[in-house]
Amino acid sequence: MNVIETEHLTYSYPGAVQPVLKDITVSIEKGDFLAIVGNNGCGKSTFCKSLNGLIPQFISGDFQGSVHVCGLNTQETDVGTLARKVGYVYQDFENQIIRPTVLDDASYACLNYAMPDYRERGMQALEQCGLRGKEQDFIWQLSGGQTHLLALAGALSLQPEVLILDEPIAQLDPAHADQIYAVLRELNEKYGKTIIVIEHHTEYIADFCKHVMLLKDGSLQWVLPTEEALQRVEELQSCNIFPPQVTIAAHRMQKEGRLDAGLKLPVTIEEGKKLFVKRSFCSMKQKDSAKQDRETAASFREVSVSYRSVKGAPHTVFSGLNLDIRKGDKIALIGSNGAGKSTMMKLLVGLMKPSSGDVFLDGKSIRSMKPEVLSQKISMVYQNPEDMFIKDSIGADISYAMEARHTADSIRRTEELLEKFRLTELKDRDGRLLSGGQMRRASLAIGVALKPEILLLDEPTANLDIATRKEIMETLKDMKEVTETVVIATHDMQLVCEWADRIIVLCGGQVAADGSRDEVFGNNEVIEKVGIRPPEIFSLGKAVSPEALCYTIDDFLNGFEGRSLEYENN
Amino acid sequence: MKITDKLSENILDKLSVDFLRNQVLKNAYGNNDTVIAGMDPRILLVWYLFFGLVPWFVNDSNFLIGCFLLVTITTLLAQVAGLVLFLFVLGVFSQTGYLLIVTLLFGGDTSAIAPLLVLTLKVATVSLASVTVFSGMDPDKLANGLMWYGCPERLSFSISYAYRILPILMEEFQNILLSYRLRGNPPEHEHLWGKIKYLIYQINVIIHAFYPLMLNTAKRSRTTVEVLEIKGYRYAAVNQEAKKMKLSSLHVENNDLLFLSFSFLWTAVSVLISTWI
Repeated sequence: MNVIETEHLTYSYPGAVQPVLKDITVSIEKGDFLAIVGNNGCGKSTFCKSLNGLIPQFISGDFQGSVHVCGLNTQETDVGTLARKVGYVYQDFENQIIRPTVLDDASYACLNYAMPDYRERGMQALEQCGLRGKEQDFIWQLSGGQTHLLALAGALSLQPEVLILDEPIAQLDPAHADQIYAVLRELNEKYGKTIIVIEHHTEYIADFCKHVMLLKDGSLQWVLPTEEALQRVEELQSCNIFPPQVTIAAHRMQKEGRLDAGLKLPVTIEEGKKLFVKRSFCSMKQKDSAKQDRETAASFREVSVSYRSVKGAPHTVFSGLNLDIRKGDKIALIGSNGAGKSTMMKLLVGLMKPSSGDVFLDGKSIRSMKPEVLSQKISMVYQNPEDMFIKDSIGADISYAMEARHTADSIRRTEELLEKFRLTELKDRDGRLLSGGQMRRASLAIGVALKPEILLLDEPTANLDIATRKEIMETLKDMKEVTETVVIATHDMQLVCEWADRIIVLCGGQVAADGSRDEVFGNNEVIEKVGIRPPEIFSLGKAVSPEALCYTIDDFLNGFEGRSLEYENN
Repeated sequence: MKITDKLSENILDKLSVDFLRNQVLKNAYGNNDTVIAGMDPRILLVWYLFFGLVPWFVNDSNFLIGCFLLVTITTLLAQVAGLVLFLFVLGVFSQTGYLLIVTLLFGGDTSAIAPLLVLTLKVATVSLASVTVFSGMDPDKLANGLMWYGCPERLSFSISYAYRILPILMEEFQNILLSYRLRGNPPEHEHLWGKIKYLIYQINVIIHAFYPLMLNTAKRSRTTVEVLEIKGYRYAAVNQEAKKMKLSSLHVENNDLLFLSFSFLWTAVSVLISTWI
């Protein structure tokens, strides 16, 4: 039975010349777990909003064709009735939470639709999402992952047939991401819900989804079973979607003639384990960055910090933290959500003051430094680029700090920066109206405008599709030459492996590990304790041969080969 | 010198947006386990109607002192956030203090103090009663109470949603101010003239911060508006059944009656004392 049927769906936003969705005819079966993939701006979110009637009933525009959900025509049925059939979780899910306490928010929709058992329904939804025991908590007490689960519970409380999630794990650390997908799998298998996710983490698609739907520039390319869909490596890559690293590795081996051409490519580590064998793996030791030789750029001495909390005792982030950052370091700061990465950065730029202990910059305590002096030496790029835009054009934003200091060649330097970050065409646009990647580039340009000695970046690749992420990673590599010392706080382990030469792992307000990638990722104890997840290709290497340390697909291809015959027999 | 440095740092710290945000949240939700917060909002509103209006029309100082003591107790019971109390004290004393100075300047004498004291007492009583009710109760209860008395759904929703959006607004505001702090170049503020220039600079920054603040918030609320539609907010606004269910959580309990009778008794005693004397 099909829960969703669209026929010749074509839609354009009000005032737009080109339609976003072009003649989409598709049917989705009840009980499916479908991933929708496609490049940025291909109409994924628009398609999903047409399924719950927001398009065309709430967001008008030119709508042709028809959409049926559970047999109801979305143009003729009101949004309220459709909401009981289709639940929707937004990408910016924190804006989806309306009530101050957890149970209140989970049962809010049911209360509005006057369901007498609204509390029980809310409780049931919380139970299904693994939030039991948090009913009376305030929403600001929840972690990022829990907030996402609450947004899901809010949609689930109406017990809809279909659940749509727009990039559910974009902002979450791996442990929380796993939790979300585990909940979704249970909803799918145990409660028979149809789940639709917009997702570009193909490892998760491979592990959890049943079908994949590819959209390209508003047109439907195909809907295929996951295994089959992920085999189409080249077609996916042409749409800026990157299949799991396992699949890419096998595909490249195939192209080099080291694997049979007709072979089915593996999509999960389990399948990969069967296919690959060790060739002559030589762990590519990184040259130990001569640790003691270099000068200290910044240091933390016995630093303790705590936040005020709304109720009860203050929340302690660090107690007695000691750490040195040396000149020329390229540091990746990792740890789960809430481990204190952002706090550490705020301490360095003087936006927060330690409650005891001291932070030193070039040997001087930053307590005695004025913020404007400090900002010449050290600069920070926020996680949320919107907060960096304080002027009405990015050109003005980039030059703001220089003009405030009456830097002599500010005009020339602004032009240089615009050029360097490929923003010249966009310099008169408001930063908020740019695409994700452009916003990121603009925020980086703003961050380096004053030529700081130390640059801090908070999650520079979060919320970006893979293509944009690659682009930002290239920019970050270029920036190695511009700024001497760079610290990046991130969950993105591919970025960590390809970029950093020193990794600091934070856990529970302490430095849990500090060293090169071999020292950190090679240390199973740390990885398990802190809950970080190395890139898939690294785990694959380990799964085949425990002593292997490969961080990129190239490393892997050097060290492993296929055992095509046995694999086929299996 | 060291101490004054510490002190000024401390005061500056108190004035941060982060502190304000914390106080707003504390005020709204941080005291939900107090006696006042546990009461029925309808009872509290009736109570407020008396203590918010009657003191204006009574000039008897004994009665006023009685009322003042009572609302002081209820304010203590409500565990109101420090900032609100500070604003209250500042408000009351700057108001009457200013009147006193004006009186003295324009030829009045110390005999003006007595009537001014009565006025201060009135203002203080009414303010504390408001503080008890509006900041001791959590906003949702207050909204439900108002709805029960027939206030339109939109008003009560605005009250509870305002508290939801306020921390977001302040967080956004804080981030933008931090951007200015990181990239701006405030004037030197060692001497008096520098301090004045610094103040002007700060005000300038705050004004300029509004443009990005509004745009960022607007961008974020786009999702919220769609979600309200999906979650049936408009549907509930016209549906009597939903309204009834919302209000069914209100219960008058022993505590409420006890509170009312105690207040009544106290007032009665104050009236008695004032007629005696």
